[in-house]
Amino acid sequence: MGNGKSRTEDSMGFDHTKHLNQWRWGTLAFVADRPTTMRPPPGRQQLSREFIARHQRARIIAALAEETVSRGYRAVTVADIVSRAGIARNTFYENFTSKEDCFLAAQDYAVEEALRRVVEAASAVESWPDRVDAGLAAFLGYVAEEPALARTCIVEALSAGPDSLARYEQSLQAFGPLFRIGRKVSPHGEELPATLEETVIGGIFWVIYQRIIQGDTERIEELRPDLVEFALTPYIGADAAKRALAE
Amino acid sequence: MPADPPNSVDAEHEYPPELSRLPPGRHGLPREFVVHNQRERLIAGLAEAIAENGYASTTIAHITRHAAVSRRTFYEHFNSKDECFVAAYDTVMTELSERIENAFQQESDWPQAVRAGLAAMLEFLAAEPNLARLCMVESLVAGPVVVERYDAAIQGLVPYLEAGREGRSEEVLSRLSSTTEQALVGGMVSLISRRIIAGQAAELEELLPDLVEFALTPYIGSDEASKVARA
Repeated sequence: MGNGKSRTEDSMGFDHTKHLNQWRWGTLAFVADRPTTMRPPPGRQQLSREFIARHQRARIIAALAEETVSRGYRAVTVADIVSRAGIARNTFYENFTSKEDCFLAAQDYAVEEALRRVVEAASAVESWPDRVDAGLAAFLGYVAEEPALARTCIVEALSAGPDSLARYEQSLQAFGPLFRIGRKVSPHGEELPATLEETVIGGIFWVIYQRIIQGDTERIEELRPDLVEFALTPYIGADAAKRALAE
Repeated sequence: MPADPPNSVDAEHEYPPELSRLPPGRHGLPREFVVHNQRERLIAGLAEAIAENGYASTTIAHITRHAAVSRRTFYEHFNSKDECFVAAYDTVMTELSERIENAFQQESDWPQAVRAGLAAMLEFLAAEPNLARLCMVESLVAGPVVVERYDAAIQGLVPYLEAGREGRSEEVLSRLSSTTEQALVGGMVSLISRRIIAGQAAELEELLPDLVEFALTPYIGSDEASKVARA
């Protein structure tokens, strides 16, 4: 979250707080109006109207995810979502225009929440390899915590239709800057392939996708060392990647 | 897939025979051939209809119009649009896999073989944007049967990279994980799909150096990989 706290540049000459905030709001302008949290701020007992509205939206999204996992996206109807969420049909249509609209909102919501967690975790450590490690750990933790939402956004999103597929492919790239920092510490720097971040991110998501379709979300966090090494190797070489992991 | 009828193969034709078109009208060909060729025409018609409308909006009427056959003929071959799509998908993927396999086998040196296989894949997809879209993008929206086949086809590329483990030092092998190949293949396919979705299928061949370097780096290091990629 943009808390305005400014940090000095780190050992790699990189002001990550500034950068990560820019990346977050720059890349994700299209989700900036989405709810950023499902919990009220600590210490506030009275729920604001705004919070209730957000909560309602989040609840509908959660219901969509659960229905999608149990029936498959194609078979899900607005009636299923409404019934699972325990809300009135009108309430659904106050928030979303259609099932498709709700699905796209679910994707945006999940990407924003995933990014928030990744940025927070990556900002808490110094070196780039540690940031990749912390960011991936946070991401995998989120997938393990929200298996229905993860399946909806990582597996079902690919087959839910052209808009959803395009949104999926676009949103993956929001993670690009976290990896692109690696060029600053790479001996090859800008000589690295221009498409490297796209292939690294695509590869990570493909491995996670495979685990989810095998129904193996519970052990998804075990992928962490493999994926970190996969992400670091093209930038800093396999030896340095191995060393960074060992530390 | 049925065997190719002997008189349907045009040696100069770039496409597999299933995707070529038989001119409409009376042609005096044996019935068996006509039946086989109607199927081919329906498959080609589907690819064209999808390129025009996207899978979800494509109707059987679109397909039969592009194929220049009757609705009844469609139902003699397929029970549904989905079934026709599966046939089309399998035809395209068989062709693509064969091209990759042939290119890969023609090089004895593994890094060069990977380069050749990737080049063949990109060349086919760039030359056939409609088919590229059909197999890499529309296949995902065409229902669970096709998604399963799509997943299997992508995973089918893993052994080409696994072959690169052969003869590597213990040190290199210890750095590769059980998911290395899966991640490499997934990353490459994701990039290719993104370009096709963006309507840039025709420029896919420009990705060759990047993909070669990406695929080879874990095995031979980035300096060597870059040499093979930029050669």
